[in-house]
Amino acid sequence: MKIAVCVKHAVDESELKLDPTGKPLLAGAAGKMSAFDKNAVEEGLRLKSKHQGEVTVFMVGGPESKKTLKEALAMGADKGALIQADALTVDSFRTAEMLAAAIRKSGPFDVVMCSEGSSDTYSGQVPPMLAEFLGLPYVGYARKIEVSGQTARIERSLEDSIETVEAPVPFAVSVVSEINEPRYPTLIQIMQASKKPVEELNGEELSPRGDYKQVVVASMSSQPSTRKRVILEGSPDEAAAKLVEALVKEGVLK
Amino acid sequence: MAIYSAERRRLMEMLHPGRHQVFSEVLSSLGAFMEKEILPLSPKLDAGEASIAKPRKALFEQGMTAIPFPVQYGGLGLPFSVYAMAVEMLGNADASVALSVEIHNAVAEGLLRYGSDGQRKKHLAAVISGKTLASFGLTEPASGSDSSTMATTAEKKGGEYVINGSKMFITNAGEASLYMVFAKTAKGPSCFLVEAPNPGLKFGKDLKKLGMRGSKTSEVIFDGCRVPEGSLVGQEGEGGEYAKEILHGARIVVAALNVGISQIAYDKSIAYAKSRKAFGKPISEFQLIREKIADMKTGIDAGRLMYLYAARIKEMGGDYTSEASQAKVYATEMSLKACDEAIQIHGGYGYTTDDLHRHWRDARLLTIGEGTSEVLRMLISRKELSRAQ
Amino acid sequence: MKSVWVYSESDSVSNEVAAAAAEVAKGAGLDVQVIELGEARQGVSSPGGKLLIKGSVRNGDSAGAASSAIAKAAAELQPAAVLLGATRTGREIASRLAAKLRVGCMAEITKVATDGTALSGERSVFAGKVVARVSCPLPAVATVKVGAYPRLTAGSASVSEKEVGVVTDQVKVLSREKKTAGAVDLKSAKVIVSAGRGVKKKEDLPMLEELAKEMHGALGCSRPLSSDLGWLPEEHHIGLTGVTVKPDLYLAIGISGQLQHVAGMKDSKVVASINTDKDAPMFQASDYGIIGDLYLVVPALRKALAARG
Repeated sequence: MKIAVCVKHAVDESELKLDPTGKPLLAGAAGKMSAFDKNAVEEGLRLKSKHQGEVTVFMVGGPESKKTLKEALAMGADKGALIQADALTVDSFRTAEMLAAAIRKSGPFDVVMCSEGSSDTYSGQVPPMLAEFLGLPYVGYARKIEVSGQTARIERSLEDSIETVEAPVPFAVSVVSEINEPRYPTLIQIMQASKKPVEELNGEELSPRGDYKQVVVASMSSQPSTRKRVILEGSPDEAAAKLVEALVKEGVLK
Repeated sequence: MAIYSAERRRLMEMLHPGRHQVFSEVLSSLGAFMEKEILPLSPKLDAGEASIAKPRKALFEQGMTAIPFPVQYGGLGLPFSVYAMAVEMLGNADASVALSVEIHNAVAEGLLRYGSDGQRKKHLAAVISGKTLASFGLTEPASGSDSSTMATTAEKKGGEYVINGSKMFITNAGEASLYMVFAKTAKGPSCFLVEAPNPGLKFGKDLKKLGMRGSKTSEVIFDGCRVPEGSLVGQEGEGGEYAKEILHGARIVVAALNVGISQIAYDKSIAYAKSRKAFGKPISEFQLIREKIADMKTGIDAGRLMYLYAARIKEMGGDYTSEASQAKVYATEMSLKACDEAIQIHGGYGYTTDDLHRHWRDARLLTIGEGTSEVLRMLISRKELSRAQ
Repeated sequence: MKSVWVYSESDSVSNEVAAAAAEVAKGAGLDVQVIELGEARQGVSSPGGKLLIKGSVRNGDSAGAASSAIAKAAAELQPAAVLLGATRTGREIASRLAAKLRVGCMAEITKVATDGTALSGERSVFAGKVVARVSCPLPAVATVKVGAYPRLTAGSASVSEKEVGVVTDQVKVLSREKKTAGAVDLKSAKVIVSAGRGVKKKEDLPMLEELAKEMHGALGCSRPLSSDLGWLPEEHHIGLTGVTVKPDLYLAIGISGQLQHVAGMKDSKVVASINTDKDAPMFQASDYGIIGDLYLVVPALRKALAARG
């Protein structure tokens, strides 16, 4: 089974600093593998161990994002493809287009796996767009995947329901984080990851922009918090009484 | 803040130009692991609500213990300073787990240095990978660093040694399946490997400690404990020297562990000082608090540089005995002071919050364990006086 | 006249998105068309007209079929913009539609507007730390944040039809089940008591359930409790990848307050939290905080609530 897993080197929102005017300092901001992408890599690896095969990791990003690709390789992926582009200025559509071109180039794959969305912007657009560009049947928000022969049976987790669907192989899928518990690469795997093959591709050459007009970010600013941040002190009884009093005053306690 | 912080990374870059990248990848992955799997468990380990076995096993599986050992035994073959930094980070995440791992690895170091081919083959890879948990027994109820006063004996009878006596304050006791212990033969202090279970190997009850409560400590009792002849490590009568050498390396690591403890106490103090208000402003605005912060940070940085210096001498093959002892004396005493100031900065919360005063309680062990400050000062001065000749 | 289309995933989502569309259309000389598949539903309102897409497709069909049908109609009728609710299904249809039409797609926006040449809006990124103002040249697709607009209640509208023939999806839906019988409705709860990792064991949850009941609220949780520990079903999970809530009162108990969690509850009116760790980021996202052991504070709180009668 040939499995393609797409990952993103996302801005680490917990380390993101804002300048005095509230603008995020994105240039040089710390990045990491988007949290839910680890679930996608993990699921790819589980399918691989069950069905024999190979996991290739695809990523659109700049040079700084190599460490994310390496992390996926350390987890156990066999090889990687880095599609060079400035991940901060391309939108979901372009990202999906470039991923599709790279996947087509080194395919065909039986499964194209993504996570439901990236931890930094959480748009959740790349996986369905990617499926469209590849012309593959698509199943979003999978919490369980079972492939047997040429059919996959997948449980989808929607807001208020669980849907069980059947898709033909090959297919594209996005997974939710409840699907598995991603493994940590061991230290030895980390050291060996550098020896695994990584192909570097130029995004614009691979997939020219054409006449597509993309989504642009006009400006960014901090989301001001207006919380009161009052610490209620005293013994548990005193603090609890103070809390009840405050909540009644706020009119939120009936 | 990531456990493998920018500060720690920068030191690795300075120490290992050209090679730091892979070291940083290893340490940053390990740090992320500790953050998620060890750090949140730390208060529970202290309170006796969680067992050390699971997080320690997970760390072994990650390969933390393999860092400084040769590749042929399943090690990662990385410099000792990278391992020491990993222990600092673990001390930051949980001191008890760090202590347990540090003792375990001291046994691996001993096996590597003094074990026969057969002993290495049988035990080293298993200890390095953590499949076998190891423990180290030198101290006795009435004998500490001075191995000549040791009362535990090993008598050769037929193809066996019979060990009698007991070892005190032994970390990992009862949990470990391999004990590196020291006992006197006719030729003097000697080093043995005792595998558990053994009908002659018994354990006292868990000692109630001030700190390091996540780790198990008890007396190890040898009651006619028979071990095969091949359990002798190296030569009879040389055990005292072996123990000294093993402990020299371990002191670097203990210093690192204490720097880690100090760092977390410091981080908590900074956050508190910035958020706690008195007289209408954060207490971090007050000069007397600022003095504490400055002194804590200076001490932590100095301690870190000292253990890394000793580690670097060790990995370059030099004589690091004085520097390792200096690092341990300084870092352990510094960390007591830093953790004490952390309590002071936190005021009443410091005195009443387990999650804060445990750092002081944990740190308190290590001006005593693995060579008291007093003995180490003796050692440092002796070494330096002889160097000056 | 060019139209802003609204995809009517369900009555409630559709009526919200239609309200957003009405604002977009207002200044730009556009009209609003609410799109339904197969048949018009009574609960779905429109400030303009309704466009019924006819063919093999039905309301509630898979996102693959729905997006194909809407794309066919859009290719011909050329709407200026298509708006959907930012639900899981809405996101998927929007993305697939944008890919098929080769137009830009914005996610989870609020303050949707147009100057006649581009669609613009605001969205929260980096787990709620930052607001980004985004825009995309028309024609464009966007999902609108659910809960950001008051629902439209206008009555019936004129219905036009568009035949698109047969659309298919290779993905077959075998079954669809409600997540749990009597599932919590966190979205409409006025008070939410939410449990985090500070809760030591599953057996302690009833204590918090009782508290929630006494406060006339519902019980939610942070991700570890549902996803890692499995102590509560996934629909209790509040956060970026779980449910987004905005109750009058959000009481976080033993929740550290990772950005991903805060992203799911930051629009709550009043937030209170209980945590032993005074450095827990949750306190920064709270109006009222109690530093203390939940096993002491919660019983005290229940006592204080009972004392009010």
